[in-house]
Amino acid sequence: MGTRILTVEDDERIRTSVRLALEDEGWTVEEAASGEDALNAFTREAADVVLIDIMLPGIDGFDVCRSIRQASDVPIVMVTARADTHDVVAGLEAGADDYLTKPFAPKELSARIRALLRRARSTEPGAPQMVFGDLEIIPEEGVVRLTGTEVHLTKTEFRLLVELATNPGRVLSREVLLERVWGYGYFGDGRLVDVHIRRLRTKIEPDPANPRYVITIRGLGYKLQS
Amino acid sequence: MIRRLWGRLGLRARITGLYALGGLLLSLAIALSTLTLARQNLIEDREERAFSVAVRNAQRVENGLGAETEIEDVGVLLDNLTITEGSFPLLQVGDATRALDQAFDADAVPSSLRGLVEAGDAGRMRVRVNGRPLIVTGIPIPDTAAAYYEAAATDDVEDVLNTLGIIVLGVGAAATLLSAALGSWASRRALTPLGEVRLAAESLAAGELDTRLDPPADADLASLTASFNGMARSLEDRIERDARFASEVSHELRSPLMTLNASVEVLNNNRDSMSERNQTALDLLTGDVTRFTALVEDLLEISRYDVGTASLRAEPIDLVEFVRQSVHHSPYKVVINVGALQHLLVAGDKRRLAQVVANLVDNAAKYGAGEIRVVVGHEDESAIIAVEDEGPGVPEAERGVIFERFSRGSAGGRRGHGTGSGLGLALVAEHVGLHGGEVWVDDRLDGSEGARFTVRIPIGDIPDDEEWA
Repeated sequence: MGTRILTVEDDERIRTSVRLALEDEGWTVEEAASGEDALNAFTREAADVVLIDIMLPGIDGFDVCRSIRQASDVPIVMVTARADTHDVVAGLEAGADDYLTKPFAPKELSARIRALLRRARSTEPGAPQMVFGDLEIIPEEGVVRLTGTEVHLTKTEFRLLVELATNPGRVLSREVLLERVWGYGYFGDGRLVDVHIRRLRTKIEPDPANPRYVITIRGLGYKLQS
Repeated sequence: MIRRLWGRLGLRARITGLYALGGLLLSLAIALSTLTLARQNLIEDREERAFSVAVRNAQRVENGLGAETEIEDVGVLLDNLTITEGSFPLLQVGDATRALDQAFDADAVPSSLRGLVEAGDAGRMRVRVNGRPLIVTGIPIPDTAAAYYEAAATDDVEDVLNTLGIIVLGVGAAATLLSAALGSWASRRALTPLGEVRLAAESLAAGELDTRLDPPADADLASLTASFNGMARSLEDRIERDARFASEVSHELRSPLMTLNASVEVLNNNRDSMSERNQTALDLLTGDVTRFTALVEDLLEISRYDVGTASLRAEPIDLVEFVRQSVHHSPYKVVINVGALQHLLVAGDKRRLAQVVANLVDNAAKYGAGEIRVVVGHEDESAIIAVEDEGPGVPEAERGVIFERFSRGSAGGRRGHGTGSGLGLALVAEHVGLHGGEVWVDDRLDGSEGARFTVRIPIGDIPDDEEWA
């Protein structure tokens, strides 16, 4: 079965041209012109990656993002107007895994999608189970348990946790995490790491305001401690 | 001429001048009238006294004179007169005269007075003998064909008048100075609102478009304030409208650019199946779509400064590593010089600083020549990033304008436009300004040929990790 990509964009010309470019990558593209269309299409048949323009008439991109995220851990790329607004953080907090700003080159988009797909499909066979206090990570099964209860993480959150867990006690800088989890270089947006760490903490920390596992090392990065 | 000079003076100087002139005229008038009145009173009083003394003395002389008295015998007569200090009697008998003091002799008697006395009338006159002021009283003694003259010196009165004159002059001068000071103070007070208007106008000119004047307590100034604020408001509206327009146009351009970029890419995916002519056309299209995209991105970036939505997203950056990475991602060959520096942590906006370095290196590659060098260092509380090349440098006259938008250099070549968007250095200046730093261009420090673009940004407070997310 080929990779299915759902693109949510109200501008028909952009939608069509992006579909053509993505189809050239060998992917199947489903188009949605509005938030409602997108939710219907996603309910009908789940996609492997969702691309959402934040500026949508009706249900806006943030709401579409939240709704899809509630139902699925599918990788989501959002398209924002600008990189320096709160839109980026708001979109990431709504559940997006990565973002692009308009106008972007389709090559960039396919690179982002490939990185997300790689992450979504990595099963890492043979990776050993890891235990940090009450936290149990089983990379092979993609499962995290906190005091025996399974915690539901998105693929990106899981990758981030595994990356920290395989270097226990070592500080990983934002740049390193950006590269290993998102495939970005040095100039990637550190907010991707910070917002995902924040979301990860709300799921695995007993008290997210005073983290016990994922610790911030000021000016350097993050580390996982047992 | 005077009018032109007067017009060239400032309002304050003119008001001060007018006050001083007024003070001068007033004190002159007072001085003149005081002196005139004092002179009249003192001298008339002295004349009256001199006259009555002279009349009394003349009476005694008349009593003592016989018909046959010779001039040689009158000495005793004169000696017995009541002579106050500064009074000089002179007796004329027939044609002969006898004086007691050389300070007043027959020659000193004015001929007009002598004529009057000889005609049988008493009279008095003010004269000056050897520079000494005298009141000369002449009284005829007709019975013996004699005449009695008495001179009274008035130099004490003159002294008093002179002293008085000096005092009055001094007071007048003081009054004039006081008026000038008063004028200066009054004009400064009157012009204080104008000073506020000046400050507000300067603040407007510096780009503080929301500058307004406070409503004044003085009703006379209310209309000035109202019209100034009205002007500032419409200026602000106008500039904001222009800035919003540029920003909205750039935003609107993003959608067609998306379509263009994606379509061009689809075409490029099938480039091999095209004829050579179509390939050439596609390459032209691709090149210009790329350039157009870069231009719109720069326009969007710079319009954020114009509409005031640009905000610094500071995070801790190790400048040494940052510059290494920037150079690593640069399409040009660049040499790094960090000296002995291992790390240099600053609070900066990574995306914007990356654009600063990229644009400066790009600028050096396009308009400089030879080796491009990026230098990192620090000075006190500031971090320095300098980009040097070995080209012709930037002529001094262009060093300021080179950071303006779409500036077109002359000699140094086409610095500022050409294949770039023409906004590269303007964006550098805006980004650096947002960091509270400055950027300038001069000659290379080692004296060899080439331009050196220096960026200085404050190291700043390194924010907590969580704060900038």
